[in-house]
This record gives sequence, structure tokens and C-alpha cells, in this order.
Amino acid sequence: MKDGNEVGVVTLDFPGAPDYEEIEGFKVYRSKTEVGHPNFLTWAFLFNHFLEKTLAGANRDCKFDLIHIHDWLVGPAGIGGKHFLDKPLVCTMHSTEHGRSSLHGPDSYMIDGMEWWTCYEASRVIVTSNSMKGEVCGHFHVPGEKVDVIPNGVGVEKYDVEVDRWAVRRRFGVGDHEKLVLYVGRLVPQKGVEYLIRAVPRISGRFHEAKFVIVGEGWMRSHLEWLADQIGQRWRINFTGFISDEDLVALTKSADVLVVPSVYEPFGIVALEGMAAKVPVVASQVGGLAEVVEHDRTGVYVHSRSTDSIAWGVERVLSDPGYRDWLVKNGYETVRNRFSWKAIAQQTAEVYKRVLGEG
Amino acid sequence: MSRYPPVYPRAELPEEFRFLCMLHNVGAITAERSLAVADIAKWTNEEAPTIQEHLRRLGELGYVQSVRKDDQDRFHVSVMGIRKVLTLYS
Repeated sequence: MKDGNEVGVVTLDFPGAPDYEEIEGFKVYRSKTEVGHPNFLTWAFLFNHFLEKTLAGANRDCKFDLIHIHDWLVGPAGIGGKHFLDKPLVCTMHSTEHGRSSLHGPDSYMIDGMEWWTCYEASRVIVTSNSMKGEVCGHFHVPGEKVDVIPNGVGVEKYDVEVDRWAVRRRFGVGDHEKLVLYVGRLVPQKGVEYLIRAVPRISGRFHEAKFVIVGEGWMRSHLEWLADQIGQRWRINFTGFISDEDLVALTKSADVLVVPSVYEPFGIVALEGMAAKVPVVASQVGGLAEVVEHDRTGVYVHSRSTDSIAWGVERVLSDPGYRDWLVKNGYETVRNRFSWKAIAQQTAEVYKRVLGEG
Repeated sequence: MSRYPPVYPRAELPEEFRFLCMLHNVGAITAERSLAVADIAKWTNEEAPTIQEHLRRLGELGYVQSVRKDDQDRFHVSVMGIRKVLTLYS
């Protein structure tokens, strides 16, 4: 936008949000889904129809030069817009159905087909890691030269705030003498949270004063709480559900270690947020995480699905303050230099120029 | 035998969350668009007692809110409920 570009965002409405507003110069157009359906896919196609209508209206105001969509959920609206506006389409694929849950039924196969179709219709496909590029090229047979790798970004300045570390920890049930092991993310199988929970007995065997804070929501929450209870560790684990952005920043800055135990992770932005907050990161060596974290320099790799390996990683960080400081220092510098939003915006603008024949 | 329970003995989407998604998808996301139990039954093909039990549980969790309109209790997904649904879809 600083280069004089105009950005319009077409999105779904939310209770209380206006149909149109400008946020930091972005024109935001919200679409109302006037007709619903209990079936997820039917609902998704219905809201795409309404998004398409909103896109047509927004185009009268903005005169878009290109359309950029994220993932299959808005694929039909983006593809429709491409054809009725006669403008090129750029698509960012953050993950694939094949990677998220394997293909397991008609709805899943349809989502897979939608992802292929979206990649096919796009002039260029952006992915956030080389791992995802391999997935998109391998599974959908997208030519490699049509795919650009642009990582996600993190605003380090968001973490540049003073927090009362001890007060924050107490608020989340962690005493001054205790270690705070933090997980942040959705509570779904691909995030591997259950392996962290299963590692709790071993970690707390070494660090009796360890407490675990699990931030996030998801359909597995009741199962995970039950699991924590079954292994006799429920009292050590605080499931917070959603918390405010402000609390999340404060909590991350106050943690002793952040664990990202994913079994599938196209990028792994939580690891970057940990680095930006100057907290040591223990992460599975899978997918994009293996590109975001550098073992023994910006974080610690562990094997995914291995409770022993996760426990080892956490113990490695908690037991050596000098090593911890080394990881934190390197992690913070890496985020600031490689993953700033400014750098990512420039790379995205280059893709746009290329699509419009200006690059 | 392992000391720990197996990985996914109960890790399925609980019925009340499947119901929450349906309520969301039919558009009951604000007080103005809230639905009575009879309307919800038409949309979801669920029996009224099942719906009432789901609504009671989801209400306790803060995912569903009710309003009184035309002498009827009408229900809609709360903002927290919408967030919950979005974690299931993303």
C-alpha cells in the first residue's frame, strides 16, 4: 500500500461488524450469507456465491487488477471472479486436505478436488514453505515454476511490550517457583498436542515444579482433558481455551519453553511467534517447521509423535539456562531478519508484478 | 499393557459440536437470526429432545445464546461459538 497500491478485502460478515469499513487504509467489504445449509460443503458453496456477489460490488468501487485468495474455502468465489472480471488469480495454499487428514471420504475427496482446481485456475500459486511446494507440486502436479515460496511473517514489535511476568504466570496458575511449559494452537490431531500431554509424566518426573498451559480450542479439547485426567496429570495442565491477543503475547513472553509438537505443519507460525517473544522453542521436525527452526541454533528439534523425544527437548531447554539464552538470541534475530512483514509484502508484490506482466 | 490410554479412544467430533456447526451453517449467528427448536428440527432433522439437550450443553459452554421472542425461546450461536466452529473448519 505504501507503493500506492489499493487493497480491497472481501470477507464474510461477523456479528456486529459493518458491511463496509476501512481499516488502516484497507477497504473491507463484508458479505452476508443470506441462505444457509447444515451441511458444511453446501454451506461453503453457498457463502462463496455470496462472496462472489460482494466481489462484483467491490470491483465497482476498487477496479481490481488481480484477485488473491487463500485456500480452497474461497476457491469458487476467486475462480468465478477471475472469469467475470477477466483478471488474473493468485492463490496461497496454506495446507492441503491430503496433508491435513489424508483423504477419507466423499467430502474429503471433493475438498481435494477443489484444491486442485484452485491451483489449476491460478496464474501463480504461493506456498509458505518448500515442504508445501513439494506437497502442491507432487499431489496436484502443479509445475514447480508456477509456485512461489513466501513464508508467513511475524511482527516482532507486537512482542516489544513490558509485561509483569510473575503476575501473568500466577494468573494462569503457575507459581513463582514453577516452570511454565506452553502450547499454543488448535486442539486437533495434526497439532500433536496429545503427545505433549503424554510427555507430561516424564517431564514432571525431572522437573517436579513443571506446569503446562494449553492455549486454544478445537474439537479434541474434551478428549485431551480426559487424557490428562487418565494419566493423573490434569492438575498440572491448564486448558485456557481462547484468550485475548494481549494475554497471548504476555503469556508467551512469560513462558519458560514453547512446545510445537505438530505431526503435520505446512509452516509453523507459532514457532516464529515464540522466537519473536524471546522464548525457547521445542518443535517437531516436520514440514515447514523444519525450515523455520534450525536445530541447536534457533530451537530444538524433536521427533513428531514421540513423547520421549518431546520430553527430551523440553528437559534440554529447561536444564541449561546458557543454552536457553543462546536459542532465544538466535531465534529473535532470525525472526527479525527473515520473517518481517515488510520483507514478505515485498515478495508478494513481486509475484503480483510478475502476474501483471510488470516484473 | 501400556500405562497410558490409547491415542484416540474418544477423539471424534462430539455430537453437540456437529450440531453447533449446523446451527452456524444455517445462519443462526445473531439474535435477529435466532431459531426456535421447531425451526432447528426442520433444518437438522434432529428430534426436539436431542436438540434441547445439545442446546443445554452448548449454552453451558457459552457457545449458544437464547433470546425470548414471540413467547418462544430462540437460539443462536454466540461469538465464542462462532470461534469454536471456525477452529473446526480451518
